[in-house]
Amino acid sequence: MTETKTPALLPTGLRDLLPPEAGAEAALAEALLAHFAAQGYERVKPPLVEFEESMLSGASAGLADQTFRLMDPASHRMMAVRSDLTPQIARIAASRLSRSPRPLRLSYAGEILRVRGGELRPERQFRQVGFELIGIGAGAACDAEVILLAADALHGLGLEGGLSVDLNAPTLVASLLAEAGLDAHDAAALRDALDRKDAAAVQDADGAVAGLLAPLMRATGAAGTALDALAQLMLPGAAAAALAQLLEAAKLLREAAPELALTIDPIEWRGFEYHTGTSFSLFAGGVRTELGRGGRYSVGDAGAKAEEAAGCTIYVDTVLRAAPAPPAPRRVYLPHGTPRSDGAGLRDEGWITIAGLAPEDDPAAEAARLGCSHLWQGGTVRALAGED
Amino acid sequence: MIDGLLLALPKGRIARELSPVLSRAGIEPETAFADEHARQLRFATSDPGLGLIQVRSFDVATFVAFGAAQLGVVGNDVLMEFEYREIYAPLDLGIGLCRMVVAEPAELATGDDPSRWSHVRVATKYPQVTRRHFAARGVQAECIKLNGAMELAPGLGLCRRIVDLVGTGATLRANGLVEVEHIADISARLVVNRTALKTRAGELQAWIERFGEAVNGAQAG
Repeated sequence: MTETKTPALLPTGLRDLLPPEAGAEAALAEALLAHFAAQGYERVKPPLVEFEESMLSGASAGLADQTFRLMDPASHRMMAVRSDLTPQIARIAASRLSRSPRPLRLSYAGEILRVRGGELRPERQFRQVGFELIGIGAGAACDAEVILLAADALHGLGLEGGLSVDLNAPTLVASLLAEAGLDAHDAAALRDALDRKDAAAVQDADGAVAGLLAPLMRATGAAGTALDALAQLMLPGAAAAALAQLLEAAKLLREAAPELALTIDPIEWRGFEYHTGTSFSLFAGGVRTELGRGGRYSVGDAGAKAEEAAGCTIYVDTVLRAAPAPPAPRRVYLPHGTPRSDGAGLRDEGWITIAGLAPEDDPAAEAARLGCSHLWQGGTVRALAGED
Repeated sequence: MIDGLLLALPKGRIARELSPVLSRAGIEPETAFADEHARQLRFATSDPGLGLIQVRSFDVATFVAFGAAQLGVVGNDVLMEFEYREIYAPLDLGIGLCRMVVAEPAELATGDDPSRWSHVRVATKYPQVTRRHFAARGVQAECIKLNGAMELAPGLGLCRRIVDLVGTGATLRANGLVEVEHIADISARLVVNRTALKTRAGELQAWIERFGEAVNGAQAG
């Protein structure tokens, strides 16, 4: 079968957003950013494209296979199109804003491009809106500020399915596996089983590590029971520290926002490739994928200059699916020849005005054809038939 | 839709072996479920909060991955083939037991040295698993996707080897094939949609426990 070429066909994972969704998406993004701004997170705007070696250095090297590259004809250097905004914000904090007082609170919005979409989320280009809290200490109060701000901002949108936060400790399992000294093959098999929450396969794993992982896996779920179970666990070394951080963050969250639906999953690590501490995913009932995720990570060179940070990225296209449809706007048709001042007065009152550009035989019919709910006639706004 | 939970079940052998597990878990499907000629695809159960759908096993994974069903029962052969990140497989139900193997004609097997292979052509229902299995030992596998009756392929010259599920091995023997490599042990798993487990943690955890008790009960009895 030959494929017909049509100009309307877009590459996989890319789409046009039309009215009213495009407007609704922009409004959602602005509403979220207003929440972040109100708590002191100031906007920054990194460019779409950067040199490959700065975009994909250090912790963000994990994004390399999701990143589009292009050759810069001017400098003959390879450039990368951003596939995530957080590494760019981290770069700004570590360079141009390195002398700004800490903790530094920054927010951002921007489109990102990825080489592949996910199974459930085929989009390769989408809008990220987020904020980062940079130069923080180890205290869980920082994690709690980030998670509560994200939850409050999303609550403000009136999500239909209700919001729930899943709290994770992505370094916990890694340090348990490292400490157990498993060979690469066994460690990969165990990771695989953990990803699938396959209790049977984890129990089959050799040695002491299975004895630690099995109860961790059982302690996954609603915060109430999971936290009690986790508090009983005795873990070695770095894993114990990761668990203690998670428990402390959960405690603060439950005190500050007892109504927030909280689940705990100490096993989850996928999607947290550059995170170094307590992390989280945001879900809404009835939406297939996360609305956003975030957590702790390191900024700057490893060593003395490195700083701790925590942040959150929200996927606006997914939030759009969970948010209630905005009310249809009130549009009034101004027949051809309506004085300009009439239109200005109506716009001041909050109307959207659609001006007639040529004389019309039937202004009411023309108003209806152009999707107006009302008509400006004889100095008053008149509802069209079928509208209220 | 949002209130009840939906459990996706496959047809055939797993469905038959599952029925005692369901009843021990306190799930009695409506009578049409047992009728193999019924055209109904969606069924009620004795539990008003749980509905059933019956689909092909590969589709069970798809329905659960996309959250159209929150729970499912499916063999780990299907999970290995799809590797859906959105599916958790928390419980081995210990039914639908079989093995996934590489098989070839008996006369080929006698003179064959698998360590010399660089390329094989394989008929299978599981092209991803097959490709990964051979790639791990440096062999490129060219897969011919079939949906059933793999055992016919070597005899008819489609290819010389197959990757398929084997229970007793009777079908292989009847077609002059022998098992040359073992890929994985297969059993049916209870699977859960990831987002559902996060947003409806309490309900789903309770079902996982009920199924766990039903399975343990079977093993004890």
